[in-house]
Amino acid sequence: MENTSQVPVTVLTGFLGAGKTTLLNRILTEQHGRKYAVIVNEFGEQGIDNDLVVDADEEVFEMNNGCICCTVRGDLIRILSGLMKRADKLDAIIVETTGLADPAPVAQTFFVDQDVADRTKLDAIVTVADAVHLSSQLVDHHEAEEQIAFADVILLNKVELVEDNDIVKVNDRIRKINPFAKIIKTTRCDAPLDEIVGLNAFSLDRVLDIEPDFLESDHDHEHDDDVTSLSFVSDTPLDMDKFQDWFGNLLRTKGQDILRSKGILNFKGEEERYVFQGVHMLMDASPMGPWPKGKDRSSRVVFIGRDLDNMNLKEGFDNCKSA
Amino acid sequence: MNADLKTLQESNKTELERRGSIFNIGAPATEAVTIRDQIAVGFGDGTVRFFQSGSDPKTVKAHKGVVLSMTNYEDHVLTGGEDGRFLKISSDGNIDEIFNFGSKWVDCVASHKDTKVCSSGKTVYIWTKNKDKPQTLEHQSTVAGLAFDNKGKRLAVSRYGGVTVWKLNNNKWTASNFTWKGSHGTVTFSPDTKYIVTAMQENQIHGWRINDKADLAMRGYPSKIKSFTWVGDTPYLVTSGSSDAVCWPFDGKEGPMGRKPIVVANGGKELATFVKALNGEKAVFTGFTDGSVLLAEIDESKKPIMIRSSTGSEVSTIAISSDNSQILIGDMKGSILLSSLWADN
Repeated sequence: MENTSQVPVTVLTGFLGAGKTTLLNRILTEQHGRKYAVIVNEFGEQGIDNDLVVDADEEVFEMNNGCICCTVRGDLIRILSGLMKRADKLDAIIVETTGLADPAPVAQTFFVDQDVADRTKLDAIVTVADAVHLSSQLVDHHEAEEQIAFADVILLNKVELVEDNDIVKVNDRIRKINPFAKIIKTTRCDAPLDEIVGLNAFSLDRVLDIEPDFLESDHDHEHDDDVTSLSFVSDTPLDMDKFQDWFGNLLRTKGQDILRSKGILNFKGEEERYVFQGVHMLMDASPMGPWPKGKDRSSRVVFIGRDLDNMNLKEGFDNCKSA
Repeated sequence: MNADLKTLQESNKTELERRGSIFNIGAPATEAVTIRDQIAVGFGDGTVRFFQSGSDPKTVKAHKGVVLSMTNYEDHVLTGGEDGRFLKISSDGNIDEIFNFGSKWVDCVASHKDTKVCSSGKTVYIWTKNKDKPQTLEHQSTVAGLAFDNKGKRLAVSRYGGVTVWKLNNNKWTASNFTWKGSHGTVTFSPDTKYIVTAMQENQIHGWRINDKADLAMRGYPSKIKSFTWVGDTPYLVTSGSSDAVCWPFDGKEGPMGRKPIVVANGGKELATFVKALNGEKAVFTGFTDGSVLLAEIDESKKPIMIRSSTGSEVSTIAISSDNSQILIGDMKGSILLSSLWADN
């Protein structure tokens, strides 16, 4: 349900020391003329004292709805519903997660809880990455990979401390995990706030922004635990029934390993474009208006996850092409 | 033309709206409790306002941020706020800060006689008479609901995974756990204290028979249940969360087990958001997502009475004065209707 009175929520992830607190302090102290509330966790890097800061414990709850990977942030449901009772309207809410947190429960909260979905909307997942240490963190901690994989925006911070060719390497490493996130190179998180907050990245029409350049099916990786991405393009229209069967079954059986999915689809006999985006087993899909005149009607899908090679994704996608 | 329009608007009003007073506070009404002939209402702007028939409300600037929780305590109200303060407030505006939790919210409050209770995070704090330092009860996850039984001997604490019922013996609290997967919110004891019931994060309520911990799962709601109230001598547990007020019978040995609820006060396309018993009667006030309120007997053959017409903002609280003479209805936009329930008042 699109509702203009929904307050946008930005989820901020990133490893300890990457610069999340620097960014939060900027959000709280800069003269941006907007009213933001910031939900911080008690194991954050340092205390921030401000009326607009809410302390939370990260409480990951399993939903009692039979969906095995469906965990939500219970504390967030409680706090967001409290904040919605404020007399003054907030322009946005920023949720900080601890360095080692899995971003999935936060994102899933916005798909699963009706009250949260009615009054707020997930705007974007922003990950602050330390340009100096990211490469080693990606080797040692699967959480670092997940934070990169889930992100809509990645602030590659502390670039002033890294040689140019090393920045290129880190950038390429990020791209292998996540081909669609916007990467902003920063020093002390100095990106304009309007490139971080209020992006509408989870809006289905933003799926259309996937840049074709990133959609080249290309990957090579070191071991099976790695988070990678795969993408497919088809100029042949897809068969809607076949696609729904394949994709529904795929998310049900492999959703735990598919961190994010996005796509634009051209179905045979349909005038409108269909778009979807998902987090693990949950996804949102809808028609998104007619295809632009004079442009190719090609279907494009992206998957980010683990063990994608063993899901027969290419074969499954190819089988959806209409005969 | 204008006059005609005004007549039309007047005629769309309910009897109670015509004879009552309407106040536009401009911040969501979060909680309401009755103290003698006054009704105290907490708001999203941190104020507590005391409403009384025939006069303007008295405003107390209590909290910075939202009044999250409120209950009555002797001649006072206890409130918990987004500002981390747990307050005792008198109707003449005296504020006594019982405790300040800083940046942690005070999510729930409860009281029994001279015992004051609040929760912040995973901990419940209990102040008994003449003691400055609170006793503390720890839980595995954040406390989402508090309720005393009618004797004040047991305190139910809802949380993720079920309810902890604390029993007071010789000034010591001992815990008994009632387990059910999922996240549990508001909690209540049945008036005969044989059952405890919680509203869950999922669209269902869950109950336990206390003596054998038998589970009662009450499902089938289209939305979350945010409010319930005990009605009549049966008694019925009446709940919001559906297009009707859903009334579960808690009489007999088995309570609602294997039985169907009675549904009254149909709101059409609107969902019930708040329910409140009319004391001493087998009747319930039901507030809906559009701001309308119906009064219905727990009898499917009777027609409900329209108490308040639509305001476009969901009903967030209803309170009745202790002598059953006045009703107060508040919504998320901060519109308050205070009116006498009976025509000859």
